[in-house]
Amino acid sequence: MFQYRFLFEQMVRRELRQKYKGSALGVLWYLVNPLVLMGAYALVFSVLLRVADVPDYPLFLLIGLIVWVFFSQALLAAAPSLVTNASLVRKVRFPREAIPASVATVQLVTFLVMLVLVTPVALAVRGTLDPALALLPLIVALLFCFVLGLSLAVAVLHAHYRDVEPVLAAALLPWFFVTPIFLRVEDLPGVDSRAWLGDLLQWGNPIAPFVDAVRDVLYAGVAPSAGHMAYVAVAGLLALGGGVLLFRRMERDLAVTL
Amino acid sequence: MSAAPGEVVLEKASRRFHVRRDRSRTLKELVVRRGRGAGEATVDALRDVSLRVEPGEAVGLVGRNGAGKSSTLACLAGIVPLDSGRAECGGRVVTLLELGAGFGEDFSGRENIYLNGALHGFGREEIEARVEDIVAFSELGEFIDLPVKVYSSGMFLRLGFSIAAHLDAHVMLIDEILAVGDESFQRKCLARISERMEAGATMVLVSHDPSAIERVCRRVVVLDAGQVAFDGPVAEGLLAYHRLLGVSEGATRSVRPGAGATLEVAELELLGADGTPRGVFRPGEALRVRMVLGSRGPAERVVAALEVRDQRGETCFRTDAAVGAVHGTVEASFAMERLALLGGDYDVAVGAAEQDAPAGAWLDRVARLTVAPVSGGEGVADLRGAWSVGEPAGAVPVGRRA
Repeated sequence: MFQYRFLFEQMVRRELRQKYKGSALGVLWYLVNPLVLMGAYALVFSVLLRVADVPDYPLFLLIGLIVWVFFSQALLAAAPSLVTNASLVRKVRFPREAIPASVATVQLVTFLVMLVLVTPVALAVRGTLDPALALLPLIVALLFCFVLGLSLAVAVLHAHYRDVEPVLAAALLPWFFVTPIFLRVEDLPGVDSRAWLGDLLQWGNPIAPFVDAVRDVLYAGVAPSAGHMAYVAVAGLLALGGGVLLFRRMERDLAVTL
Repeated sequence: MSAAPGEVVLEKASRRFHVRRDRSRTLKELVVRRGRGAGEATVDALRDVSLRVEPGEAVGLVGRNGAGKSSTLACLAGIVPLDSGRAECGGRVVTLLELGAGFGEDFSGRENIYLNGALHGFGREEIEARVEDIVAFSELGEFIDLPVKVYSSGMFLRLGFSIAAHLDAHVMLIDEILAVGDESFQRKCLARISERMEAGATMVLVSHDPSAIERVCRRVVVLDAGQVAFDGPVAEGLLAYHRLLGVSEGATRSVRPGAGATLEVAELELLGADGTPRGVFRPGEALRVRMVLGSRGPAERVVAALEVRDQRGETCFRTDAAVGAVHGTVEASFAMERLALLGGDYDVAVGAAEQDAPAGAWLDRVARLTVAPVSGGEGVADLRGAWSVGEPAGAVPVGRRA
């Protein structure tokens, strides 16, 4: 395990270099993306449609968006990663988990940079300096477990069934819209009379509690509910365990399949 | 029971590839056609292969394309799992199956040394201790700090080999790489390999180039259709390999430029001293080229010609002789008491023409001649002789100086 820590570090460096090669703004591009989305959605929901009656709405949006962008970009980048590195898999013996894991880690780095920039803004604008903030590292760690587990799974699945990536790309857009990024589930006008729909949106979508939890801490300045914390803990660990198991099961013939 | 450091073990190893299934499927295929089709083709890359290599030994794997050489290496490296049996390399293994596999294009040569070392399971300190040796060996100079995407293929090769050769592995698995690069670097690689072997490292080498195998290995394993066809000393092994190639490639082929010529070579054979036809000879052996000339019309003054060319098409030898009149068929032959060619593949081309016919495309039939490699000389012509070293002229023998 220890001997491969250095490998992992090297792989992450290689990914980072490849990702930002030849771009003048480099890592900044990945910070621009959520900001642009934030501006557009704030305009639509708060100004044009006037459905969002939320104080400091852009900040509310931004916090949800950076969680979503991390989640979706990591999966989209991890899915083809084994295929892209086929020659490596076929010619060198090393733990193949390192490939999707390093891709997901690169996305984590971007996410953390964003978080470090957004946190002081949120604390200043919302006045949310609260002991609950101490929960943030734990929530982020569990979110990474969740994303890492799914990254391993989609990467190895895509290596065997090449339409996993397009299916994933197609699914992420509707998934985005049913994730409580624009409004909290309880604030959605349509769920008042249909409690089951609210429950489904809240608990049926595994990324939703992560969005809620990060937003509770940063935007609302309160600790997430015990239910939320339990959910993110179970979801994070289950996804990681399941992802690792699936990867181990399916990686056997990778050198032949790719 | 695990293998000792440097030991390589293959025990009743079998591996079958499903030609269709092993390409990745799409989800649609999975849903539409559940289970496997009955008509699926399979290839047995390894069939019950057992092999044991002792620490410090160098073994060359040869065989035709698809004989299972590369699969054997991939199984030994643990990259491709076996269906049954056991494959094990004792100690640290370095694979050189593809040059520059896993290089980061945007990484400098130096950064790639670290990345490549890490891929083979080495830690930062272990690599740091070797970096300067690797840089020096690669002869890359200032290029070592430039991104490898600007490298020429030769530089790529030098870096890849330098890294692998300096990660002190117990076992090195090398696929088809010594054939590339310039002569002087090749020689340096071979020297480095010998050095590693003296230090106790084990080599398993796959190559199509018999001379590379011969220079490094004392033992050769010939694989054919996933099985061991020969396992033993290098000279006999390469002969067995060439025999295998001769069988598969057909004895002669016609290169007749077109119909209409009145003269043709109907038959062509290479015969050994005992009069049996074959395609593989050793240098110094007796060889007779037997041909049957045919004529469709009367031809009075016929000349038969024979030419031996090397693999690049250069003429090594050429001769002709007046055959006289040919009506119907005439048998002719050219006998060599001693085949004066060194190891390699040659073409023996023969043809017949009327003496006054315009020169040009008269060669009619070509036989492939394979000469088994021997030690004691390199090149085309077998001019092997004995070296002797005497006292230089004018030198005063040491003992008489006082």
